Amino acid sequence: MSKNKNPFNFLMKTNFKSLPLFIVCLVLLLVASLVVVLRVQKRTVEQEIRQKGIKQILQINAAGTSNIENKSVKKFFKLKAHNKFNNKLYNFEFVRGFDRSNRNQEFKGQLKGQKFASLHDLATQALADKRAVMQLNRGNPPHAVIALPLKNNQVGIIVKNITTRTAPTPWLGIIFIIMLATAAFFLTPEPWKIIITNSIGALGFGLLASGYRLTPHGTLGEILSNSPAGFTRGLFPTIWLATSLFFIGTGLLYQRGKIDKLIATIKSNRIAYTYILPAMLGMGLLVLLPFAIGLGLGFFNHCNGEFQFIGIDNFVDILSGGGTSLGNPLNFYFTLGVTLLWTLLNVFLHVSIGLSLALILKDPLLKMKSVYRVLLIIPWAMPNYITALMWKGMFQQQYGAINIILDKIGIGGISWFSNFWPAFMANVITNTWLGFPFMMVVSLGALQSIPSSLYEAAEVDGASKWQQFRNITLPLLRPALFPAIVLGSIWTFNMFNIIYLVSGGEPGGSTDILITEAYQWAFKRGERYGLAAAYAILIFVVLIIYTRITNKLTKAAEDM
Amino acid sequence: MQGSSSFKIVIKHLFLIIFTLATLYPVMMVVRKSFSPGNTFQRSLNPIPEKVTLQHYEDVITKTDSTGRFLFFRQLLNSIVVALVTTIIGLFLASTAAYAFSRFRFAGRGIGLNMFLIVQMFPATLLMIPLYVIMDKLNLLNSIAGLVLVYSTTAIPFCVWMLKGYFDTIPREIEEAAWIDGATRFGMFWRVVLPLSKPALAVTALFSFMTAWNEYILAETFLNEESAYTLPVMLQHYVGSYSTSWGKFAAGSVMVSLPVMFIFYILQKNLVSGLTAGGVKG
Repeated sequence: MSKNKNPFNFLMKTNFKSLPLFIVCLVLLLVASLVVVLRVQKRTVEQEIRQKGIKQILQINAAGTSNIENKSVKKFFKLKAHNKFNNKLYNFEFVRGFDRSNRNQEFKGQLKGQKFASLHDLATQALADKRAVMQLNRGNPPHAVIALPLKNNQVGIIVKNITTRTAPTPWLGIIFIIMLATAAFFLTPEPWKIIITNSIGALGFGLLASGYRLTPHGTLGEILSNSPAGFTRGLFPTIWLATSLFFIGTGLLYQRGKIDKLIATIKSNRIAYTYILPAMLGMGLLVLLPFAIGLGLGFFNHCNGEFQFIGIDNFVDILSGGGTSLGNPLNFYFTLGVTLLWTLLNVFLHVSIGLSLALILKDPLLKMKSVYRVLLIIPWAMPNYITALMWKGMFQQQYGAINIILDKIGIGGISWFSNFWPAFMANVITNTWLGFPFMMVVSLGALQSIPSSLYEAAEVDGASKWQQFRNITLPLLRPALFPAIVLGSIWTFNMFNIIYLVSGGEPGGSTDILITEAYQWAFKRGERYGLAAAYAILIFVVLIIYTRITNKLTKAAEDM
Repeated sequence: MQGSSSFKIVIKHLFLIIFTLATLYPVMMVVRKSFSPGNTFQRSLNPIPEKVTLQHYEDVITKTDSTGRFLFFRQLLNSIVVALVTTIIGLFLASTAAYAFSRFRFAGRGIGLNMFLIVQMFPATLLMIPLYVIMDKLNLLNSIAGLVLVYSTTAIPFCVWMLKGYFDTIPREIEEAAWIDGATRFGMFWRVVLPLSKPALAVTALFSFMTAWNEYILAETFLNEESAYTLPVMLQHYVGSYSTSWGKFAAGSVMVSLPVMFIFYILQKNLVSGLTAGGVKG
């Protein structure tokens, strides 16, 4: 080819085939730089608030806390705080309970229309540490919320607006790197164009961002002598690594002609992708991204808002039983056993009750079939959290209808939620009530599709009712019933509402199934998000294996 | 022979009547509670209230927040808006995607379908932590817009599978006929496939609507102002950790359940075929 004759020949031959890809990369570069820059700027703001805020806490402590009055009414209390720095009176209304003994109690606070979800945490921490605690809010204007421990286990809360300055955005540097990358785009030969351009971009971006990031830490000498604290910490290395890998990766793919192929595929399936795009965008942001984060979270430990990578420790912790014996409710295998028992028992009861009812209702001589049918699916139609709470009321020890009935029969009322088996059975009863109508309706539909001539023929041959059921009804029901059972068992396996609202895991977390156990770890036992995510992953794995097996079974059944 | 079978019918009726009454008993107790005074249950098994009062209904409906605004109607409006918008968005997203999966063979189709199936297995409750963070970043916490987004997207995988199953049963010849008559791709989808899929669309709509109308735990986590609550969160608070107003809970439950049960009964016949035919087998 002619390109070897003259080293600058490729300049003439620059084609713009890769221009769109180049523009995409440039935009990504810009976004990545801005992300880092904004984070650094936020951090500078935060540092200033921290410094100023601490001074003020000291002053408030010294100047006396008498400006704060409070009124404690049982579990609810209102609190007024007079902030002497801007001479404003703040009203705090604790909308929900404030239970100091239980840090994990949910709490929501209101402050003149603003909300602080973590005000409760702040107050609790202040009490526990016996010192003032501050939370920084980067609102507009940025402000600090300070919790002060007072006498009598009360907490005072002060809000202080803070003025800050931020470091200027390094537009010059960003423009310079973009120009550099553009120059590289025009000056490099074709198959290598994108990889060279992208590498320059990634390198420049890294240098710029790290330089900018280090500025608040002092002069170059200071940075080098005190190991540059922020350099390897936080999101920055990840962002840089990810963008660099992406850039170099696209470069390589481009060089091998893979990108062209991808574009060709997209072009040829344009219509299909247009139809899928809206769903994919939504799913990507709100299902797949959380899903991926959830998967990743299983490898981290969460402590006071900081995530720390701990590898597979969560899984080891769970699968080894976490140092608890098999009979301990917190042991994974105990919970797994409870979950399996729960699922099996429920599905068995759903199917047997549903199928029996369907068989009774099938009788052609039976009148008022539709009335029974309509009445019997009421449990399915009711919102299941209402069902759960309703049954919780039924199982109440003193006034619950179940105990009254037991009393009348002479057995005497049971305290349903203080022992494992009664509590577990209470859950099962509730869920059976909830679930049998679905199976009944499915069975009814399937029974109707069985031709009655089959039964007539069997009658002629002298088959008993049981033989008819075994040899005609069951085999012909299977295609409809089997998917319903698979679906029903997955629903039951993950039936959060019933367990959470009826027994709530009582006594001592023993009736928790895997999903509520995971929820407890995340939201009730000290925000162990990592451990909870690991639980979720295990649930996921169990269900995948389950569907694999059932898929094989269906396939085998169809082949037969 | 005749005598024994009519005896059997009587037995069956007897059994069904007892079973139905036992099934409906808890519901009747809730209805009874909603009409009888006092906030705890009475020690009584009679499902017919001795004294009838509308006090609980009045209390629930006229509850106001600290600034005197009526809460019930705001929460009702929230629930209606959330459920309706979720249904519309969910239907649009799921039907377009399901159509593509059903009618086109394109790169990534298999992966996409499998992904939609697998994602369903991941416990939704546990998507909550990452979702909470994302919602926070998007400034959508405490807003019903955020709830709508979450509900309509989390229902997509299930709806797509259900609709795809149904679309698969519609013969392509009908579309081809429309194609010959000069219909566009979108015209075929909009004028031919969608009208033919009304039963499946009804089920999908019912499913999305019920998800949004009944969902409790995400709403409870994402919303923290009483005026932004949806009805389930409001209801749960009547019997939450700090109060046990069973009367108000019962009255609220009756009001919340009635509309959804009404819709459910209109569409329930389609529901079963939709769930079992499309939803599982694909």
